[in-house]
Parts: sequence; C-alpha cells; structure tokens
Amino acid sequence: MKIVVAIKQVPERDAPVHIAADGRWIDESDLNYTINEPDAYALEEALQLKEKGGDGEVVVVCAGPDRVQSTLREALAKGADRAIHIECDDLGSRDTLGIARILAEAIKEEAPDLILTGLQSDDLGLGQTGVVLAELLGIPHATIIMQVELLGSGLKVKRELEDGWFQHVEMPLPALLTIQSGGNKLRYATLMGIKKAKSKEMKTVAAFPATAAPAVELERVFLPEKQKKTEMFTGSPAEIAAKIVEKLKFEVRVL
Amino acid sequence: MIAGGLQSAASLRSLTGTLLLSQLPSSPFLTLSEPSRFTAIESGLLAVSIGLSCGLFFWRFGPILGTILRSRKDPGLTLHPLGRRTWDFVWEVLCQAKVIRQRPLPGLAHAFVFWGFLAFALVSLNHLAVGFGLGFLSPSSTAGRFYFYFAALWALLVAISITGLFVRRFFVRPVWLGQKVSYESGVIAFLIFLLMLSYLGSFFVTGEGAAIRLLWWTHTLTLLLFLPLIPHTKHLHLVLSPVTVFLKRPGFSDIPPLREDEDFGLVAGKDVTQLISLQTYSCVECGRCTEHCPAATTGKVLNPKEIILGFRSYLNEFGPSSDVPLLTESRIASPDNPPAKFLSMEAAFQCTTCGGCEFQCPVGIQHVPIIVGLRRGATNTGAWEDDYGTKLFLALEKNGNALGLGTAERDKFIQKQAFPIFDGSQEYCLWMGCMGGYDPKGREIIADFAKVMQHLGTTFGVLKKEKCTGDPARRLGNDLVFQTLAETGLKTLETAKVKKIVAICPHCVRTIATDWKDFGVAPEIEHHSEFMARHIDRLPKQNSGSIVYHDPCYLGRYQNIYEEPRTVVEHAGTLLEAPRSHERSFCCGAGGGLAFLGEEQGDRVSHVRARELAATGAQIVGTACPFCNTMFRDALTAVSDAPPQLLDIAQLTVRALSAPQDPKPSGLTESGGAQ
Repeated sequence: MKIVVAIKQVPERDAPVHIAADGRWIDESDLNYTINEPDAYALEEALQLKEKGGDGEVVVVCAGPDRVQSTLREALAKGADRAIHIECDDLGSRDTLGIARILAEAIKEEAPDLILTGLQSDDLGLGQTGVVLAELLGIPHATIIMQVELLGSGLKVKRELEDGWFQHVEMPLPALLTIQSGGNKLRYATLMGIKKAKSKEMKTVAAFPATAAPAVELERVFLPEKQKKTEMFTGSPAEIAAKIVEKLKFEVRVL
Repeated sequence: MIAGGLQSAASLRSLTGTLLLSQLPSSPFLTLSEPSRFTAIESGLLAVSIGLSCGLFFWRFGPILGTILRSRKDPGLTLHPLGRRTWDFVWEVLCQAKVIRQRPLPGLAHAFVFWGFLAFALVSLNHLAVGFGLGFLSPSSTAGRFYFYFAALWALLVAISITGLFVRRFFVRPVWLGQKVSYESGVIAFLIFLLMLSYLGSFFVTGEGAAIRLLWWTHTLTLLLFLPLIPHTKHLHLVLSPVTVFLKRPGFSDIPPLREDEDFGLVAGKDVTQLISLQTYSCVECGRCTEHCPAATTGKVLNPKEIILGFRSYLNEFGPSSDVPLLTESRIASPDNPPAKFLSMEAAFQCTTCGGCEFQCPVGIQHVPIIVGLRRGATNTGAWEDDYGTKLFLALEKNGNALGLGTAERDKFIQKQAFPIFDGSQEYCLWMGCMGGYDPKGREIIADFAKVMQHLGTTFGVLKKEKCTGDPARRLGNDLVFQTLAETGLKTLETAKVKKIVAICPHCVRTIATDWKDFGVAPEIEHHSEFMARHIDRLPKQNSGSIVYHDPCYLGRYQNIYEEPRTVVEHAGTLLEAPRSHERSFCCGAGGGLAFLGEEQGDRVSHVRARELAATGAQIVGTACPFCNTMFRDALTAVSDAPPQLLDIAQLTVRALSAPQDPKPSGLTESGGAQ
C-alpha cells in the first residue's frame, strides 16, 4: 500500500513570534521550525500501517521554502521511504484552496492508496487543507481520526466527536484521513534512521503556479492582547468557596 | 605437617622412602634440598611434562586470545597517558591497593598469594632448571640461602592465606560469590597449597633419598598441572588482568566515540571491541560489582557481573564477528540458545550508571561504557521501546530540556530572580541546567547559589538560551539527541564568549567537561562545591547542627571531588558520614536517565539510601546534586516519620548570609518558600 503523508512545517511551539513590518505576516527570521504536531501523528499512523501490512511505501510531502527539507529529512529518519519537497516561497500569501491545489498537483502523480495529514496546523489552525485536498483529488475523506484499521480493500476508522463520543466509519480506498494528535505514541528519531535517511530520495518539484487571486486575503496579523485580571479572595475556605461560586455564576456565567 | 627429628646421617639412609620423618640437617640452618642428579629418562620425562603442560595451556588459551585479537579495534585507543597507565599498574596490580582497600581481609590474603607468586617466579624457574642440571640458585650459597628463606616466608604466608580464602569460599560463602560453588577454585586452592607445602617440605629433608625426589616431583607436577587449568577458570585473570588494568580506557566511565557510519554501539558480536573482549575474559567473578550495584541489591534483574559473564558466554558461543544480537530479547530463543536473563534489554536499562561496579573492579573491567554501549545499540537502532524513554527523547528534541517544559518557563524564572544575562563582561557563566531552570527544588538551589556568588562579589550571568547538556540521552544511548545537544551547547557558549562556567549539577559538569570532548572544546567548568570551598574563608561560619553528606556519584566517583563539598558542610555544621560514603557512596537512583523512566522493580534505590541517611540521626541531609536532592525529597518523607531536613550545600551556606536586600530569612527563597 502506498501512503502519502502531507506535512506542514510550523514555528516551534515556544518560539517568540514577532509580526512582520508590514503587519500582514510574521517575521520569519530568527524562528526555529518543526513538524506540525498532528502531522507527526499522521506520519506515525502511516509508518505503523506500513509495518503492520509488512510492505508498502510511505511518501512524505511538504510545501515551503528550502528550510522545510529539514523536517522532511526528519520524517525520512523516522522511517518514511521518500520525500517530495514542493518549492514554494509564498505560502503566507496563498489561501487554503491555493495550498491544497499545489499539494493535489504533486500528490496526483503518486496515485496513493491513502493520504494522511494532521487535522489542523499548529500555527493557523484552519483545519481545512486536508478536506479541500480530498475534494480536489475526488476521493472520500474522514476527519479527526483516532484509529485506522485496514479492512479488506477498505478502511475502518474511529472519529472523535464531541463530549466523549466516537464514530466508527467504514470507507473505501483510496481515501484521505485527517489525523488527531495523541492517537498513537510517537517514535523518537534514531541515529540509524538519520544515517539511512541520507541515502533516501528527496525530490524537489516546483509549486503549481497560482491561477487566480486567493479567495481569502490576510489583512492584518496581530498577537492576542493580554487581559489578565486577578482577584484575591480572603476569608475562611468556606467563605472563599462561596465567593468563587458567586463569581462563576453571575460574572463568568459558567455555572 | 612434616615433623622434624634429630637423626644421625647414618640412620637417615635407612629411613628413606618415607615422608613422615625427616630430619634437621647437620648444618645449624635449614637448607633447601633438591635432587642433585637426574637421569636422562627423568630429564626427558620432565621435558615432555613441560611440553604437555604448555601445550595444553595454549590449546585452551589460544582460542581465547584469538577471540580477543579478532574483536574489532577500539576506536581512538592509544597508550597515552603512559604515566597514568603505569601508575594504575603499579598501584592496582603490584601493590594490590584496590583489592586490599575495598575488602581488607580477603584482599590482604589475596595480596599475599599474589606477592608470594611473584617471589616464587625465580624459585620455580630454578626448580625446573634443576631438573635439567641447570640450577642457577645454589641452596648452600649465601645468596641462594637468603632467597630460598625469603621465598619460604612467602610460602608460609601463601599457604595460610590460601587456606583462609578456601574457608571463605567454601564455608563462609559470601553471597556475592554467587550461588554456585566453583569446585575448580577448590582444586586450584589445593594445588597452590600443595605447591607451598612441597616447597617448605624440601627444607626438612636431606641427602639423596626418595623423599627428596618425591617432594621435587610433587612440586613440579603440581606446577605443571596448574598451568593448563588457568585458561578455562576464573584464574585466567592471572594472565590477563595485569594487561587489562594497564590497557583500560583512561577515564572513568569513558564512553568511546562511535567509529563510522555503521557503528551504533554494541548491537552484536561484531561491535565488541578488543578491550571489552579482554575485560570480559579477565573477570575473576569476585562479585564486588554486584555487591555495590544499586540495581542488583534492590531486586532488579541487572547484575553487572552477569553482564560481563554474559559477554563471555556470548563470545565463546558466537565469536567476535557474529551478527547475532547481544541482547537476548532480540535473539531467537531455542533449546540450544535459551534467553539468558542477564544480558537483556531490561537489565541494561536498569543501570543508574553510578559506576560503583567500575570503581570496585579489581581487574580493570569498565562496566559503565559496556552497559551504555548496549543501550546505544538498542536506542540508536530504535530497538528500545519505552514510553518514558521516548517521551524524554521527544522532550529533549523539541524543548531542549529533560523536563519537557516550554523554554518560556525558564525565561520567566530568570526574570523573576533578576539574574543578569551573560554578556561577556561577567567572570562566570552560571549554567542553570534543566533542574536549575525548570525544577522547583533545583530553582531554589540555583537562586541560593546566586546569592552566595553575589555575597562574594563574583560577577556572573546566565545564558539567554540554554539547552540540556544531553546527559540523560548520553547515558541512555541516544547519540543523535546527545550529539545535537552537545553541538548546540558548544556553539551557544562560543557565541556568548564564555570563559568560565560554574554549575550546581554534577551531571552537567561531567557531561560538558568530558562527554562533549567528542564534538569540541568547552570552556573551563567547575561544580559549585569547588567554587564555595575555594572561597570558604569569606563565607560565614555557622553551626546548624549535624549534617550527613551524601556523595553524588557524578561528583565523587566520576570527578573525584570528595573533600570540597565536605569543606562547605563542615563550615555549616557538624559533618556526619553515612555508612557508605566517598567512593563507596550508594546511588540515589536518578542517574543514567533513570530519573525520567518509569516505576522501579523491587525496592526503590532512593528509599534504601534515604533510610541509610536518616539512620545516621543527622538533623540535615546535605546534597550537592539537584537530582539526588529531588530523589531524596520524596524518599525521606516516605521512609521516615520525622525526616531530616534536606538541603543542598548552597542552601546550607546561604543560611548564614545576612542579605540586606532580602529581609526574609535566607532559608526561604523566591521560588519555593520554606523547605
């Protein structure tokens, strides 16, 4: 089975993010990048499916400038067989549809049985790329997947719904799944993996040119404004508890 | 024993043929007697016996030597430093210092046997030479007489010692010698005893009788029987251990660099190096390593002696170029190849790398690099699957600290403490480490040590960004994470133009000073105990009561720093020693990355040590390592209803400082409050 994993490279979680001078994107200099966390779980799922099946191929795809090659290399070190780097320096100016389109163009040629990607990105968190990608490729998809099971010629997947509910869905192949974080345990990169990754193929392809102006345009990017109101209660524990309940009921209105 | 009796020379001849009676010679001194003439047949028989004995010896020793020589070369091993090697050889082999010091009574007995053997070398050579009429030491000459008396004295000591050792092994039976009684040891002890007896006996017979011949031949045959027994018993250490002690890697717990692209550590026989081979065949099975092992003595699978013997059986069975995995989980078990318990992944990952085994070993075996080598083989290839281990590695990869917290947490703490950022103008870079930067207790220690530095007027700054030194990854065998962190750390220090570092964590100090050497040159680094001991005259003396000091493994055995922290402790109160202290100190259980792994089997190492420390009755437990501190924090409360106070040496010191800018009592700190 051939599995393609679409990966995004995002700034490290603790990275001090600054807004670019024009206010329309973040300042990318002096930032460290890493793999988008749900994508790491998508890769793990793909590797485990391959290991369970005994054969197959895992191809990782990532769009972005040269720096994304380090993330692809890491994916190869963890066990992916091949990597495709879609060269694209203007990710910030493309909308979801634009990104899905360049991914679709690169993935189409591979004709995979299964496409996995994270359910959303840690930086923008739109959660649409996978869904739009499936639509562009004309294949079925399922989102927020916790478990994947191969079932004859199709799949059985477990979706996470709200409030502790799950949905089990059977679906045919080829298909696209967006993977939830935490469904599997991630593996650590090994020295042997890094050494093997050196001899694995990393293909660089040009991004599909943008055909139309993006449907969504970024007007302004800004940091969340901090609002911190701390109120100290005094008194006996019972008095404090009563005051907290009152606040929660009438001011915060969560009770 | 041979009874002496006063007999005339004439009646002597009539009594030849019996050993029961012999007599004082006519001379006033006892003289060694040896047959003066040998027939050609006798000499021929002797030559054949010697040939047979040596032949048998090499027939059995040859394959072992072959295995050692065919093992792969040790990367980067040279005879440098020759002085240190020579000193170790003189001290540990010739003086038997380690053997005696760590187990005085049996150690001394062993030393007597060893020195006796040395004294006997000349005697034995002469003894055999006599059989060909080539004797070079005449029993009647002054020099000869003197030397034979000298050897006789040793013979007496050896006979007594070997009897004592025999009694110890077969009747006292210390648990560390193992459950299986080694009967061959008994045979060897008997042979040594017989050698001495036949030598001493030769002083009490005279003339040319059969008794002399019998004694001479008994001595000869015992000697020649002894030789072929050596290779397949633990007495192989007679031949190998002097070489092993001389050749062992010069550093303590010295982990060798990986050699090329295909080296991931000890995966299979082909990865076993000549030194490891030599060390495994040198093992004398004394069990000192096991006796001092925090894992073996608290009910874990790991037993350092069995790891070494496991290597030996592996090499005997599969050879040094085999692809069969060393760790038994990865081997296919069959009736011929049952999974051995000891050379297992489980055992390898129970080691705290405390180095108690390596320090104790009298024959120069370096257990820690071997165990870390096994872990490297498992981790670098991904064979080791452990939820906690993976979590730790991912935390180190992603966050650059072992606690897995966001780097912003460290920034906030620095801001709160108003630590200056190192900018090149300060004298010291204060290395915070994961514990100092992220752990509540470690933060108290670093904050207090900063106050000590401020009190002394020493300028310091902390790094704006600092990642883990890679110590837990290094000890758990993850070379990828370790190398990345080491390279990052070196670059950070170089960019910041750091000249001198001081740290509160012995693990950081050891890793930066020693383990980073594979990737570059780090600035000079010292532990805060060294810093405070150097400035002790300028720190106020106080009397805080009795303080028992716990030697951290990575400060004591690893860096040979025992006195500096004691100087600081004695300045703060009355120093008490734990039953196991200095180089025999017992681990807290945190080392080797184990602080981050899961639940322990059997007793907790930290509880065993905490009980021992609490039992001293000290009011305060003094530590010098944030990992020991964090282990004992929980352990002391668990093992004692009224646990002693637990303080780092920096916290002990800070209590005496009057800090005008800080009105709170100095035992309280910004981050943690009261202990």
